[in-house]
Amino acid sequence: MTAPIPLSGRQPKAVRSALHVLEEIVSAGPGVTAKEISESLAMPQATTYRILNLLVAEEYLVRLPDLSGFALGRRAARLALPAATTLTTAARAVVDHMRGQTRWGVHVASYAAEQISLVDPDPDHPAPDAGALARFPYAFALGRLLLAEQADWRALVRDVRPFTARTVTSEPELDRTLKAVARDGLARQCGEFREDRGCIAVPIRGPRDGRLVAGIALAGPTARIAEPNEEIIAVLRDHAARLAPLLA
Amino acid sequence: MRDDVRLRLRSRSPVEGLERRRLGPLEVFAQSVSGAAPSAAMAATPAIVAVSAGHGTVWSFVIATVLALLVAGCIARFTRRMAASGGLYSLTAKGLTPAGAYASALASLLGYGLLAAGALVGATLYLQALFDDLWAAGGGRVGAAVVMAVIGLGTGVLVLRGARLSARVVLLAESISITLMLIVFSLLLAGGPAADAAPTEATAMPSPGIGGIVAGVLPALAAFIGFEIATSLGTEVRRPFRSVPRAVGLTAALAGVLYVFAAQVQVFGFSATPGGLAGQAEPVVALAAVKGWGWLPVLLDLGLVMSFVACGLATATALARVLFSLSRDGVAPRAFGRTHRRFRTPHLAVLASVPVTTGVPVVLLAVGVPLPAVLVTVLTLAACGFLLAYLLVCAAAPVFLHRIGELTWPAVAVSAVIVPILLVVLVAFVVTRPLSGALLGGLAVLGAAGYLMLRRRRPEALAGIGVYDETTTADVLFPHRGAA
Repeated sequence: MTAPIPLSGRQPKAVRSALHVLEEIVSAGPGVTAKEISESLAMPQATTYRILNLLVAEEYLVRLPDLSGFALGRRAARLALPAATTLTTAARAVVDHMRGQTRWGVHVASYAAEQISLVDPDPDHPAPDAGALARFPYAFALGRLLLAEQADWRALVRDVRPFTARTVTSEPELDRTLKAVARDGLARQCGEFREDRGCIAVPIRGPRDGRLVAGIALAGPTARIAEPNEEIIAVLRDHAARLAPLLA
Repeated sequence: MRDDVRLRLRSRSPVEGLERRRLGPLEVFAQSVSGAAPSAAMAATPAIVAVSAGHGTVWSFVIATVLALLVAGCIARFTRRMAASGGLYSLTAKGLTPAGAYASALASLLGYGLLAAGALVGATLYLQALFDDLWAAGGGRVGAAVVMAVIGLGTGVLVLRGARLSARVVLLAESISITLMLIVFSLLLAGGPAADAAPTEATAMPSPGIGGIVAGVLPALAAFIGFEIATSLGTEVRRPFRSVPRAVGLTAALAGVLYVFAAQVQVFGFSATPGGLAGQAEPVVALAAVKGWGWLPVLLDLGLVMSFVACGLATATALARVLFSLSRDGVAPRAFGRTHRRFRTPHLAVLASVPVTTGVPVVLLAVGVPLPAVLVTVLTLAACGFLLAYLLVCAAAPVFLHRIGELTWPAVAVSAVIVPILLVVLVAFVVTRPLSGALLGGLAVLGAAGYLMLRRRRPEALAGIGVYDETTTADVLFPHRGAA
């Protein structure tokens, strides 16, 4: 986790310049140099360099291997709202089929731009709290799938707090939990956000590159979710595999 | 032209295999502080500086601190822009020719290797003193050699087990050490000047004069060596472009404040003594003895042992990474570039270096070479290595900035000031210590021979020297990525 930087709010010019620099890099495309940015924005060179180094330090920007060119870093994706994706009819049919196989809730979340958004919450069951899911991904099975995919999950987690007595909040324990998620391709939480609810989620990966694109989850009563549930997990994996070509 | 950016990116970092982006800012900072090992210098260096600077001792330290901060500034020009594992030589390579980078690599290997060995010697020496203080039993030569081997072994195991574990041990040991030193020096300050300390042979403290103060800068600057160790952890730090330059800069500042404080306390402590601080062999012990505080040296020794152990860990970590990086360059044997699958450390580089930095001092001790003499020689030679590496990186900074089109006048001005000063310091250092100078001359000849051989056998490796943790395809946000 990164400590928040105290910002006095008295540097409106610096903030504005930083946004201009970001915008300039987006429009010029990857590879643009500091000098080019400073010229096209008519910004003093020293200021431009300082802002660029700051944005690189914060990982919104990266330097290309020649060290003179800049491009947007992965973190910049988090500035954009994920495109509101709705499932195609074909994908929806697969999800509905899954719903027919179980009495539990079936939810689908997309991980576009490393942000979690529920694209198909189960209409007949209580859906997870979307805001909480985005802010406290470590307490949700769907969130853990995304965190387990990161080189360092701390980059996506702002603050870790307990919701119930069962919430895993210690760093080493989360480390272990997420390693297990990555190993098994299965995330599970039992009563960690709400005492009486738990869920199991499996990843949906792009068939070509294996990239994590979405997750499908079963939500039910804590005690039942904690059971091995081998059969229903197999069914869930089967549906995830069928969704993969429809979502990627 | 910009469309082929993706083609220019590698899919894997050239330093892959290390545990990327794991260490926190405090852990890197602790590594750098331990590299500088301020505790030992707080106790020993002011008396050395006082020999030439006299009452101006504090000023020598102030000047040395400013110089260290300027060097830190030059290093930051690189570390804000790139994350490397090879420390200063990887940075130097981006500004100077391969020959310059190669010289820097050798200087770093020399510096870290000797400092690691020196730290081990120091730890053993003060552990012996500690036992002497407590039970009046320093143990024999064999006992000391065994202790030294055990510390060396422990260092190797920790460094092998991972940067994170050893960083935490280092943080703990260094915190205890600095706290103990602050307690010791605060007590001495509160106690007032010692009226009847044993006078030294000098009849009066030398009058400072500008020349004396300048001469005092030499040993004072040597007290900072190792403060740049964070640069070799660039790959393994969470936010390298922020954490590494801060760690190096803050270490220079912290060490500077501690040294000025320690110097002030000691100059003040001996202000009523004929001869003053100059020439006192163990000033802190002498001051404590006058006050009748027999227990104070125990605290001091404990702090020094902790500091040396931490310094040994930090330098062994850095040394292994320099070897690792050189191997990935194709300059050092390929095996050094391998990493342990579970620990994510360059384990073969550790296994190749730690036994040497441990074995040599153990053998020297076993054959009866007096440890204090070993420590002084080793630290002097190490200081020369570090000064050369600093000189090269400071010279490289403006060239590097010019190359990437980000040159500003302060960068030029800083290098224009610091490079000639470092050159003079280095020359003065070598000239005033003939034995070290001769040894260094021999090493330089060997290094040059190695360079010529390398240029004939592996010219492409030499030309590409200086791998660093490049941006890879996975780090860049390409348009298609957002629209999944």
